[in-house]
Amino acid sequence: MSLVARYLERNGIPTVIMGAAKDIVEHAGVPRFLFSDFPLGNSCGKPHEPDTQRFTLELALKVLASAPGPRTTVQSPLRWNEDGDWKLDYNNLARLPAAEVARRRAEFDKVKQTALDQRKKAGVA
Amino acid sequence: MVDTAFFAPEHDAPIEYMRRTREYYLALGYDNPYRWAHYVDAPFQPLTKNLADSTLALITTAVPYQPDNGDQGPGAAYNAAAKFYTVYSGDTAVDHDTRISHIGYDRKHTTAADAHTWFPLPLLREFAGRGRFKLARRFHGAPTNRSQRVTLETDAPEILARCRQDQVDAALLVPT
Repeated sequence: MSLVARYLERNGIPTVIMGAAKDIVEHAGVPRFLFSDFPLGNSCGKPHEPDTQRFTLELALKVLASAPGPRTTVQSPLRWNEDGDWKLDYNNLARLPAAEVARRRAEFDKVKQTALDQRKKAGVA
Repeated sequence: MVDTAFFAPEHDAPIEYMRRTREYYLALGYDNPYRWAHYVDAPFQPLTKNLADSTLALITTAVPYQPDNGDQGPGAAYNAAAKFYTVYSGDTAVDHDTRISHIGYDRKHTTAADAHTWFPLPLLREFAGRGRFKLARRFHGAPTNRSQRVTLETDAPEILARCRQDQVDAALLVPT
């Protein structure tokens, strides 16, 4: 998505990204980025909380209209929860038993095969 | 008023997704790590008119629900069969049932039960109705390919072309 933002911007269309993977978006280098420090899948606010969703969109529009230059990141002040412990879970080997790693390895092999079949079907493999 | 010396815990900072992912897939037996897009510079195009007078397009990585392509949530496991490989567009005047089961979102802490957290179209209509901006007639779906070349050479130009067809002045991109 960062690549698309850069492409649009370079061709005259100002962009803002609403996202939750700070390092990945900033590594790419984008014009404007509203970062929500939330689990991936919640770029637009918290589930079933229209107020946080409105707040997040409003903030993104402000970033779009007022960023002084490229690589502007604004971090939303909203918190996912009090302790931030969720951040220790995502793909964290330190929290995964060996049996679970083995199970995921087998599962990932299957996913890769499905994706390959899909790409062949779509003619892009 | 001053800050206290009771600092937040070390882990309570934005997740280093690239490092986590690299280490995770190494442990799963894949020693050919993904190389994330990386540039030193970034382009910048200021808005050319007030936001209220600008036509705004939504770009999403979500995809409309496909009944024939397996479990797409909420709570579905990663579903590669639901991925899409070409840019699609949808009418912003009507509602769309979009899903994210084809994306590696946080499956422990995200239930994927409320599409408003990844597809803000209803909210964009509400904001446009209040005169905050003009909503473009179509939104666009950007494929999440592992191939960055396809994104650069095919998908991004296609999205630009569609935005131009709709006289779009600015874009809101929502990756999941």
